[in-house]
Amino acid sequence: METITTFRNEPLRDFSEERNRSDMEVALSEVESLIRSKALHAAPIVAGRRREGEEPMQRRDPSNTSVVVGTTELASVKLAEEAMLSCLAGFPGWRARPFSERAAILQRAAGILKEKSAFLAALIVREAGKPWREADADVAEAIDFCAYYAQEMLRVGPARRTQDVLGEDNVLLYQPRGVAAVISPWNFPLAITCGMAAAALVTGNTVILKPAEQTGLIAHELARVFFDAGVPADALAFLPGRGETVGRFLVEHPSTALVAFTGSRPVGLEIAKAAAEVRPGQRGLKRVIAELGGKNAIIVDDDADFDDAIRGVLQSAFGFAGQKCSACSRLIVVGDAYEPFLARLAAATRDIIVSRAEDPSAFLGPVIDEESQARIASVIEAGEQQCPVLAQAVLPQEVSRSGTFVAPTIFRDVPSTSALWTDEIFGPVLACARAATFEQALEMAVASDYALTGGVYSRHPGHIEKAREHFRVGNLYINRSITGALVGRQPFGGFAFSGIGSKAGGPDYLLQFLEPRVVTENTMRRGFSPDLTS
Amino acid sequence: MTDAIDSGLNNQIISFGRGVFADLGDVEESPFSIRYWNSRLMQWSMSMPDFKVNLFRLVDVLPTLKTPEAVGEHVRQYLTGAANRLHPSMGWIVGLSDSAIGKVLTNFLVSHGVRQMAGLFIAGSSPREALKALRRMRRNGYCFTVDLLGEFCVCEQEALDYQARYLDALETFGSTIPGWREGAPLMPGHPGESSPVCISVKLSALYSQTGALNFRRSVDVLSDRLSEIARAAQKRGALVYVDAEDSGNNPIIYETFKRVFGSPEFASMPYPGIVIQAYSKSAEARVAEMLQFARARGAPIAIRLVKGAYWDFERVISAQNDWEFPLWTQKESSDACFERLSRILLDNAELCLPAFGSHNIRSLSHACCYAEQRGLTPKDFEIQVLYGMAEPIAQAFKSRGYLTRMYVPLGDLLPGMGYLVRRLLENTSNESFLRHTFFEAEEVSSLLREPHFSEPHDLAEDQPRAAFAAPEGPESVVVNLDY
Repeated sequence: METITTFRNEPLRDFSEERNRSDMEVALSEVESLIRSKALHAAPIVAGRRREGEEPMQRRDPSNTSVVVGTTELASVKLAEEAMLSCLAGFPGWRARPFSERAAILQRAAGILKEKSAFLAALIVREAGKPWREADADVAEAIDFCAYYAQEMLRVGPARRTQDVLGEDNVLLYQPRGVAAVISPWNFPLAITCGMAAAALVTGNTVILKPAEQTGLIAHELARVFFDAGVPADALAFLPGRGETVGRFLVEHPSTALVAFTGSRPVGLEIAKAAAEVRPGQRGLKRVIAELGGKNAIIVDDDADFDDAIRGVLQSAFGFAGQKCSACSRLIVVGDAYEPFLARLAAATRDIIVSRAEDPSAFLGPVIDEESQARIASVIEAGEQQCPVLAQAVLPQEVSRSGTFVAPTIFRDVPSTSALWTDEIFGPVLACARAATFEQALEMAVASDYALTGGVYSRHPGHIEKAREHFRVGNLYINRSITGALVGRQPFGGFAFSGIGSKAGGPDYLLQFLEPRVVTENTMRRGFSPDLTS
Repeated sequence: MTDAIDSGLNNQIISFGRGVFADLGDVEESPFSIRYWNSRLMQWSMSMPDFKVNLFRLVDVLPTLKTPEAVGEHVRQYLTGAANRLHPSMGWIVGLSDSAIGKVLTNFLVSHGVRQMAGLFIAGSSPREALKALRRMRRNGYCFTVDLLGEFCVCEQEALDYQARYLDALETFGSTIPGWREGAPLMPGHPGESSPVCISVKLSALYSQTGALNFRRSVDVLSDRLSEIARAAQKRGALVYVDAEDSGNNPIIYETFKRVFGSPEFASMPYPGIVIQAYSKSAEARVAEMLQFARARGAPIAIRLVKGAYWDFERVISAQNDWEFPLWTQKESSDACFERLSRILLDNAELCLPAFGSHNIRSLSHACCYAEQRGLTPKDFEIQVLYGMAEPIAQAFKSRGYLTRMYVPLGDLLPGMGYLVRRLLENTSNESFLRHTFFEAEEVSSLLREPHFSEPHDLAEDQPRAAFAAPEGPESVVVNLDY
């Protein structure tokens, strides 16, 4: 098989090295002192100028809600209109820049992110409540997105002749679409925000970046990195704001050419609908790139290596408290393996270390905020009415009192009609069911609205083959955990209600931010053709 | 410390090694023995690398299969099924299960069972069950260290169960073996024979949340749990080794070892053992650290020097993460490092009891000859080999008057499978000394050649790094698997 890319990913920190642990300690205490001196503040940036928002929003540390990490000023709709005008005006100039210059700017952004990587990871730990390892991966992925899309732009950018034919010149080239509204989530506050914005920018679109309200500080850092790397003031606006107001305004605006969104399914559907409606002054159809949810299943076959499978399921289901669209929320165990596997999984779950995100030993930290905590708690409560609880970790009192923690919970014997089985929860909740055969397990796995990730633990070559063919999801993982896709290595994204084919970090991604054009010139005049005379 | 040895010593090593080779004799065995089939199968698999992958994958999965149907299904799958479609070169094997040789093979795998193959390397499922084999070992003049095979532990109950198995092993061995006639020292006055009971502990499995990011708590919890084992050992006068693992866990392991055996409670415990892996680029620094520890402790420790058993694993992890590879890329560098560290350990024999764990006749001959040149006696060090792997070699060193210890794994087949597959891989690896020795009759002189570092390494300041060839690319990597 042909290999697609030679891209080299930014290495994750090897935390078995003492110096890497102490780098993080230092960065965390740096962030701590910024928090203490109330120095963390994010405000909108429009036309290169810092602007005031209409509503200061305090962000509390989800590990310890008595601490205010910093303040993000949320923009008004009026400021959003200004941002739109600025980015519209900036578009022709940004489009006219050679693509290699835009790629070079992204490369510089990758370099700056890399220099600040420990600080950024520490900020993610405090603002998003992400444990160390995941926060480090978030930063590495952001660096990868910049470097990878820069490399991809150099591949996609040059105009290409479509065919060699006498007397005619046929050229295929790509042009940017216009002003892109980038609406990003809090769960990968740096990586996904960076990925969508970087792709839009490098392809020549101007960008209005509206990050999730919960993680405005880290998004603000990113915006500053882009400006420092050389993105012009009128090619990017940083516009923290409420989804219901500013987000909606940007999606509906007639001058918006493209919406790149990662988030929940209901909001994604709303965006698709709102973007489809043509408004006065609108000059074309809007393009929507959406990466939505998942209800991802792991199948554990009866011949699986349990040691591996238990570690993989725990990692996939409870990494970052299950708040990943790739997370495992359904477990299907084949045949007689059901009881013994569940018994070990239950014991392992009870011994997970739940702690504040800045505690390096934390396997599981808090969920993002009180609203999420309450929502997940009610899902668990409702689940308890329907299905037996297999295991629930006990939260240490000092953490459950201080932050928005949810005890990882596993339900067993969950029927396929239960909401636990069908609905995305986005929390540390896992639903288990038994399948009589591997084939039945496959049917159960794909019987979902979503098709994002999936996993199989099996040592039966025939079953692995079947899974390759029939386990139709965007990213299928065999005998490993199902989260942690790497840029370039595992282009990421799903279909069905999981999204609109947006394989982030893959060779197809940039094309979605571009429109292809073909220019054909007849080069023969009065029977004279330059390609015959030269 | 110089990096090279003088030609006089080298000649001595070669002639010593030739003597050992001459003693190995004919290892051909009866077709009625499991050993015979093992070597047949090994030979066959070595001639067909694709087949080897499928065979080892089959061996890996077999113990989890509960029914004969499941076993039959997997045999068919791996040896004639989908796996072969993945390897077009294996087309010929389709229909094998109907052929004569296929029947023999299937029969071997299914009815004789992998259980018996594992029995070559695993002396029993429990300490009690192993007593007979251990007694036989001592009667034949070998001492032992027992390692308890365990599944990867995912929860605290499993970790505590694992600890309980060690405590049980110490109780079982401590209450029986010293009373045997065979319990008497094989070599009176040798520190390794201060007790006939010796265990090797796989530390990371004593705590389910062992991990680099959980460093402090890992060391705390493991220290407590290892202390309990050490206490039981001290009560029975038994010897304890702490095994080395992969680079991710090793910092925790060395820290725990120092904490426990540097504590006042165990300060006088005789010869607590630690393992240094010569395939690691940081092995020399580790040796220095452990000698320093012994000096500070005021009582010597035992240091088992091995090449290391996690090469492939580490290679994959560092390649996937784009981390610097912490081990030598070339096997010859590991061999050279082993010799260099052997000399350092023997130069410091007042601080440590060196135990040379290898099946490489050159490596072991070097240690024996260098010790002699230094005026040391066989009471100053020992030889260690893996149970079931290299008996003729063990025999040759034992008969030369060296204390020879078998590393004996005990446990159920399921958790033992990882160990078994590693041993099978080792026996059939391109670079295996055993393979060259027993299966391929490679030239003795080439097997005994002095190894040199084939990649840059830290040397005494008088040796410029540039004197060494650049490291080879990843394509030329070879495994280091001589124990």
